[in-house]
Amino acid sequence: MATVEEKAEPGKKGVSNEVLRGFFREMLLIRRFEEKVEERFRAGELPGFLHVAIGQEAVATGVCSALALEDVFASTHRAHGHAIAKGTPVEKIMAELYGKAEGCSGGYGGSMHLYDLKVGNLGANAVVAGGLPAIVGAALAFQMRGEKRVAVAFFGDGATNTGTFHESLNLAQLWKVPAIFVLENNGWAESTPAEQQLPLPVEELGKRAAAFGMKLIEADGQDVEAVYLAALAARDHALAGKGPVLLHVRTFRLTGHYVGDPQVYRDRDALKQERKTKDPLTLLGARLELSDDDFAAIDAEVTAEVEASVEFAKAGTDPKPEDALKYVYA
Amino acid sequence: MPELTYREAVRDALAHALRQDESVFVMGEDIAEMGGSMAVTQGLLEEFGPQRIRNTPISEMAIVGSGIGAAIQGMRPVVEIMYEDFLTLSMEQLVNQAAKHRTMSGGQVKVPLTIRTQGGAGWSPGAQHAQQLEAWFVHVPGLKVVFPSTPEDVRGLLWSSIYDDNPVVFFEHRTLYPIKGEVPAELVPIPLGKARIHREGEDVTVVATGRLVHEALQAAEAAESEGISVEVVDPRTLLPLDEETILGSVRKTTRCVTAHEAVVRGGFGSELAAVIQHGAFDWLDAPIERVGAKFAPLPFAPAMEQWVVPHAADVLEAIRRTVARS
Amino acid sequence: MASEVKLPRLGQGMESGTIVRWLKAEGEEVSKGDPLYELDTDKVTQEVEAETTGVLLKIVIADGEVEVGTTVGVIGAQDEDVSELLLTAQGGNGGSPEREVVEATAEKTPAQPESVEIAASVEASSSGRVKASPLARRMARERGVDMAALKGTGPDGRIIAEDVEDAAAHDAVADMPAAPAQPPSSEVEVVELTSTRRTIARRLTEAWEAPVFQLSVTADASELVATRERLVELMREGETKPTVNDVLTRVVASALVRHRPVNAHFVDGKIMRHTGANVGIAVAAPSGLVVPVIHDADRKTVQQIATARADLVARARDGKLRLPDLEGGTFTISNLGMYGMEQFVAVLNPPQVAILAVGSIEDRPAARDGQLVIAPTMTMTLSCDHRAIDGSEGAEFLRTVKAFVESPALAL
Repeated sequence: MATVEEKAEPGKKGVSNEVLRGFFREMLLIRRFEEKVEERFRAGELPGFLHVAIGQEAVATGVCSALALEDVFASTHRAHGHAIAKGTPVEKIMAELYGKAEGCSGGYGGSMHLYDLKVGNLGANAVVAGGLPAIVGAALAFQMRGEKRVAVAFFGDGATNTGTFHESLNLAQLWKVPAIFVLENNGWAESTPAEQQLPLPVEELGKRAAAFGMKLIEADGQDVEAVYLAALAARDHALAGKGPVLLHVRTFRLTGHYVGDPQVYRDRDALKQERKTKDPLTLLGARLELSDDDFAAIDAEVTAEVEASVEFAKAGTDPKPEDALKYVYA
Repeated sequence: MPELTYREAVRDALAHALRQDESVFVMGEDIAEMGGSMAVTQGLLEEFGPQRIRNTPISEMAIVGSGIGAAIQGMRPVVEIMYEDFLTLSMEQLVNQAAKHRTMSGGQVKVPLTIRTQGGAGWSPGAQHAQQLEAWFVHVPGLKVVFPSTPEDVRGLLWSSIYDDNPVVFFEHRTLYPIKGEVPAELVPIPLGKARIHREGEDVTVVATGRLVHEALQAAEAAESEGISVEVVDPRTLLPLDEETILGSVRKTTRCVTAHEAVVRGGFGSELAAVIQHGAFDWLDAPIERVGAKFAPLPFAPAMEQWVVPHAADVLEAIRRTVARS
Repeated sequence: MASEVKLPRLGQGMESGTIVRWLKAEGEEVSKGDPLYELDTDKVTQEVEAETTGVLLKIVIADGEVEVGTTVGVIGAQDEDVSELLLTAQGGNGGSPEREVVEATAEKTPAQPESVEIAASVEASSSGRVKASPLARRMARERGVDMAALKGTGPDGRIIAEDVEDAAAHDAVADMPAAPAQPPSSEVEVVELTSTRRTIARRLTEAWEAPVFQLSVTADASELVATRERLVELMREGETKPTVNDVLTRVVASALVRHRPVNAHFVDGKIMRHTGANVGIAVAAPSGLVVPVIHDADRKTVQQIATARADLVARARDGKLRLPDLEGGTFTISNLGMYGMEQFVAVLNPPQVAILAVGSIEDRPAARDGQLVIAPTMTMTLSCDHRAIDGSEGAEFLRTVKAFVESPALAL
């Protein structure tokens, strides 16, 4: 049995600059959103936990842009980028973080439980790898009903150590369901670096697909075009009935695990270096040859959108305490 | 009225649902060709094919989890967990995911999943194949818990569980599979959350579940000859609980015994006792007695196994304690 | 060194007592052996002596029901600071919340303040709790039964519902309040039938004040029933059909004239015994219970009694009784047998000194000539006013009634 590795090479397939500019805008929107969220959290306005995906925007945009509206996905605790990229309005996400009734989960979920069924967001999950089995189930349902839809699971390198990961990929491959397992490998499981939690070299984590006989597609997670093309290929593979795909993208978390994380465990210089050389926005901006004015224009737009979302959220309605009992049972 | 065994009744409910509804499918370990370790799903593969009667690998987390995913997409999966001891392996998906999706999503998601499992002592299955864990799940908001004790009840309740839009943990008992009972000629759905009074009485109410319903009925017969009139109530659904029927009975008799095969400490009888003392405090003429297994992992040797789990004699003793005089 | 005055156990089985009053005041000097306070127990009231010499610094509990072992006072040296001692004492007693509970519950049930108070203080004290089931407690509250006086028959001596029921039955006002019966003197108290209920209530209270005891006996009613049947056979055209009760009335009347102490009134501290038996029959009339009287029942035939009875009952049901119908009763028979009541206790019908409560005739196992048979039996309970009748007198009368019931011929 042979597992073919495909590396999407930038420029080799036709993604127009126009499309790439659209990607850029979205990635910058995600970036400004995450920065704003950090800022508001530090100001004490946001309850609960927050995990931002600064540095990983290309993965969110690249993958979600390759999906159709009727495709579904489940995310992790670091879900804001995926939610925005799949199409939930920024203001509904901000409102959810503020715990308002206008939030995409009605104030019931918070940052780690963003749901939006209308655009196929089946929920972010606070349990590492917790969302994977349900994605297998969703893909199974599509298969049984003959629907041309894929189910996508986002997870990190830390999740590949869990039993859930193994059971889910095992079962998905066994039944050849149309699922895409997106491994966002940023080399960190909270504060634990790759060497301390992965028995394989971090760059080779994609080899885990071989254990299941599953198709592996890899891409540079900081190159949005590469991610996008890889995701398209994965989708095609799954929809052709050839089975699920492990989409391994190597990416970089340019902030701490959670907002407020002092990252005492991280090498300061290495982080500085990563920030300089691995920022997907910087990389894409350079590729598109965006001028400072272009950048400023886009930045002004997305910043306004983000700030409007904060106003929207702050003006939102607090759920009634007794509403806690409303959705326990269908 | 026709008769079915408890096992046949489960199968009958499954077959009915599979026949009339494409969205229903069954998955679990060894359920297809082998027809299940308890022979419950025998014959279903022939009628419904391998897409809808699916064998799975030994992956309780993934089995339950994929059931959740399919249910969210609008199907009605019935997942079989071979022994309820193995529910422990799927707890993360059941408790953290299935039970919570609807609330976390602000009502966007429904999880119409049914998890069928079986357990209980008898014929020395050993400590890891004989537990009764229903009390754990009663403690999880978002789940429903059903534990029928007769063929008629198991058929009607399994149907209703499949068609309930919430995740239902459906407990069967291994020693009940062969028992025969009268069932209506046509499948009659039994609503979740309604208790059944098996026997009316005046002096003591015994609230029993699973195998202990039958032990309680035996004990009630014996008590009758001692001049004690016993009422036997089976909640059938543990969550949601039919408090009205149970409290009504205890207010009538003024004494209560709870009986289940599960361990006494922290067992469902504890929840019952709390509900009853609160709702019928001024009607209680004696402390509530709890009957259940002794606090030990189930030993292998038959003599020890029999001693650990409760029987009719234990229920009778408890009944006597409630009416005792000094 | 201050010492606590604790309620002593003065007898085996004594759980509590009632402090009636203190014989020394706070601040007064006390010598060992001086009478300190008066204590009422089940059996007797007695003085409790001081066990130490000193000054009675504090009276912790001034009066009321107290459990054995409770601190009721403190004796010590003049001006000694006993605040800490008092704290632990009150902690042991259940402290001041006791009084609050007592007040609150007293407010809620003004009709029965005494028993509620007692029940509450008994419950609130944390030492020496009365063990009773929740059901028994509620019943005791509702019926005004003093639980502290009960002996529990439940496990560990717990008081259970049955114990409260038995106690309530003894103390209880039976649901047979008597209508006014007039003393056979020239002073006649006219009572309007329209105020029946008010009167019944008043008389209920009067009856409550009498020290009553009850005697019960179960009689084989076979002969009584047989006699009645023979009388029915011998009936003539147009005559009223006699009932078993009519036969009973006749034999009771005979018994009354043989036991005149029971055929009496207790009025103004005097016992007035009558020669003839005027037997009142309790009847449920639309306006309430009335007791029309069959005069000289001892000199009437059963047939005559039947006729009189039927007429009175009919007029009672039509609300057409006249004063002479209600006057002059010397004894009352109350029968709830037709409602299936096997046994009950009737309330005295003042100023009559006794009343007989008759239960239903039921087939029960009985011994006859050493053989076990099923016989129709009837339980009769005689309530007696102890001011006028002693136990032996009541018992002799009731023994005669039983003998007459079992052999009506003896009553001739």
